[in-house]
Amino acid sequence: MEDDGRLMERVQDRDADAFETVYDRYHRLVYGVALRVLADPAAAEDVTQAVFLKLWNEPSLFRGGNFGAWIARVARNRALDAARSRAVHAGADLPESLPADDALEETALARIDGQRVREALAQLPADQREPIELGFFGGATHEQIARQTGLPLGTVKTRMRTGLRRLRNALEGAVIA
Amino acid sequence: MNSHDEMLDSVAAYALGTLPPDEASKVAQHLQTCDACREEYRFLQPAVTAVAYSAEARDDTSAGATALSPLLKARIMKKVRAEVPTPQSLPRTWGAYALAAACLALAVVTGLTDLSLNDRLTRAREQSAAQVQTLADLAAPDAQRYTFADGSVVAAGDRLYLTMRNLPAPPAGHVYQAWTLPKGSKTMAPSSTFTPENGGVAVLRLPAQATAVEAVAVSVEPEGGSKQPTTKPIAVVRI
Repeated sequence: MEDDGRLMERVQDRDADAFETVYDRYHRLVYGVALRVLADPAAAEDVTQAVFLKLWNEPSLFRGGNFGAWIARVARNRALDAARSRAVHAGADLPESLPADDALEETALARIDGQRVREALAQLPADQREPIELGFFGGATHEQIARQTGLPLGTVKTRMRTGLRRLRNALEGAVIA
Repeated sequence: MNSHDEMLDSVAAYALGTLPPDEASKVAQHLQTCDACREEYRFLQPAVTAVAYSAEARDDTSAGATALSPLLKARIMKKVRAEVPTPQSLPRTWGAYALAAACLALAVVTGLTDLSLNDRLTRAREQSAAQVQTLADLAAPDAQRYTFADGSVVAAGDRLYLTMRNLPAPPAGHVYQAWTLPKGSKTMAPSSTFTPENGGVAVLRLPAQATAVEAVAVSVEPEGGSKQPTTKPIAVVRI
């Protein structure tokens, strides 16, 4: 299987077939994230289309590293933009560009099995899972989560970190080759 | 908890994208200079990616996942391929020549068959009359129009029309199929299949009686059509 980095080089050269392969590989991830954020299939399809056409028109936005990790963050940010434009709330964005060595680090976990991850997430205690999901998919800042849950700010962050560390450790078993 | 533990917690919130911009830029600056926080950030990044992957849509719709419309890819690839010459453009051109040649051959063959001249004239007049009727119905001020994105359903008396524009070519081996929901029924009845003309336009009269129909839908189906919709409809209009 041709690796994502090589495919994206071909996309830079306006190779529509390479773009189609990238689409086939990642449209479920982009759409799934957008759907989770927006809870609206039509709006999630709009975001999916916008993300992929942006990728086609400006492939240099991807600066190497783990492509799935990058496009998932782009999808999340664009979906939250769409949600905010429907006047939901203002929130925080994920850094989309990672320093090159951080991105390389993640290449080791390039292929993540969605099903295994869902199981690993489900096994987190609810008080760790919920702030993580609210923050990532809901676009809520930790301050908003603290207000919603009535917990001190520091506690929300600590639970996020504890949950992410647990998930990170569980990931070792969720990586395909 | 000391202040550096608090910073490590902020790094987690930063990795997850839950810090407001001012706090996020502070953490980003700190990451440049603090090895321990940088290490934590690197360690947590894949976990954040994993959270995203937990939402990945599945092809298996029976598991409760929502399938993407097959038209989405067609729409995107149409835009992408419209911009660049692709290897497919040559066969397509040849295909157009082949079609033109076939039409010419057909014209020559039918032209030689004088006996069918009257039949053909009659058929052409009938087609022309049907087109005039369609135009008159679509333009009639008392026709009822039900619009949806890029299309409409028009009821003129008993006659029912479906008009669509900006419709991408269906995926290979597929056609569009119209469906009508008879009044009082809970099951869509199969109606005409069609593919858009150049420019993505389709105008067709549906065989059902407008007054007996509650809703019209359009979906992508395998060539030859289906007995019941097999994909999520791209349009549903209640009339």
